[in-house]
Amino acid sequence: MKQELDAYAHLDSPLHRWENRYKIAGLFLLAFAFAFVEDVRLLPALVVITAGLFWLSNLPFSFLSGRLKIPGLILFGIVASLPFLSGTTILASLGPVSIKQEGVMMALVIAVRFVCIITLSLLIFSTDTLVNTLKGMIALRMPPILADMVLLTYRYIFDLSASFRTTQTSVRLRGFQNNKLSGGKLNTLAALMGNLIVRSYEQSERVYKAMILRGYGMTETNPAALTSTPADKMWLASILLLAIGLVAAQLYLAL
Amino acid sequence: MHIPDGLIPATVAAGGYVVAGALTAYSIKRINQSDNAQEQIPKVALLTAAFFITSLIHIPVPPTSIHPLLSGLMGALLGWFAMPAILIGLLLQAMIFGHGGITTLGVNAVILGIPAILAHFIFQTVNANSKMADIKEAAADKWGARKLQISGFLAGAIGVGISVLLFYGFIILTIPADIIDPAAERRATLILSLSHLPLLLVEGALTAMLVTYLSRVKPELLRGLSEARA
Repeated sequence: MKQELDAYAHLDSPLHRWENRYKIAGLFLLAFAFAFVEDVRLLPALVVITAGLFWLSNLPFSFLSGRLKIPGLILFGIVASLPFLSGTTILASLGPVSIKQEGVMMALVIAVRFVCIITLSLLIFSTDTLVNTLKGMIALRMPPILADMVLLTYRYIFDLSASFRTTQTSVRLRGFQNNKLSGGKLNTLAALMGNLIVRSYEQSERVYKAMILRGYGMTETNPAALTSTPADKMWLASILLLAIGLVAAQLYLAL
Repeated sequence: MHIPDGLIPATVAAGGYVVAGALTAYSIKRINQSDNAQEQIPKVALLTAAFFITSLIHIPVPPTSIHPLLSGLMGALLGWFAMPAILIGLLLQAMIFGHGGITTLGVNAVILGIPAILAHFIFQTVNANSKMADIKEAAADKWGARKLQISGFLAGAIGVGISVLLFYGFIILTIPADIIDPAAERRATLILSLSHLPLLLVEGALTAMLVTYLSRVKPELLRGLSEARA
């Protein structure tokens, strides 16, 4: 499991310089405003805002297209049937199959919202290191239990993943082929998964002892001493204005 | 079993955050009532990481392959910790792979979290008469082992079954009623739900096998977080 999210965290751009708390709050609310849009006439605005922010971030387009590939296929599987199943206004028909206008419009709205929100989430998570982004979330009043769990989970995902790959290789070298479902193979997979769960549990006991030795739970910690500038607040205000504008426009068009 | 960004309206996505937030807050309240909540945090975090990785395994189910959801197993093992663990797992999946999404995080947490909590109660109820402290002895006994397998199967299968119903419920119910034929909607719901039956059976069998494995190798895992349980 290769960590690619931090690949462009070192770049210099207005979005990279934007303090994490403001960036997460602003872009998250903008993503919700995008999700609120249901009128096709507002879709160009979503595209222009997203393209503008992406251009400002200096992230390469290949990075975005790579991120869109698998979630895009899943979304396509869900919305592909809409033009054929939804609506009453027939645009074109071939025998018993007809393409309906309402279904096409709905699929278009969903697809554009999807691409724009995925792009915004990429801007949130890829314009700083993942650890700094998590610290920004913690500073936004995430409960302490969740904050500790998210940092520890993230810390050990890559360790355990490497260890799991080694186990998978050794199982394969002993002749196991995961190509056909059978009770025996499912049992082997269960043992493989159970083995990882047991090892992670045993490791957690050592991790806890090490944490206690380092004073875990003894003092109140301040995980993210973040400072903001007037520019950070200006960015947030601008993004919030865009979000409010989109919601107001959608409400007006729905009247 | 992740709803992607942009698919559901913002009002439903916001409602998902409210429900997931309430469930997580209640779970944290129950966790904080236990004496050893702090000690459990690294255990739950590493188990969450392990679940995250094992859920990426391909299981061949012709003509395709599936990934296990493991929400039933998480419920059985983690108890009230399952809800925050699922929330964190989904957040990291959205961040690292782009699966699910940031606006749909709440809805996705509800889809996996409610079945996990139900699976926890099912697992506890079936094993209510077994002393969880003597889980290894119970597993050595023929009837005790059978009960563990049945409770594991039910936790896994019901976990997937309810997740599937919630997933399609969210998707189909959010399509405006005026643009979809109600008969087609009912037919699609039935077909899509039935098509997940093999997944339900495979996940149930896998969870039963995993519970059996854990009862032999690390029985305390099946009772390890019991103090944070209901």
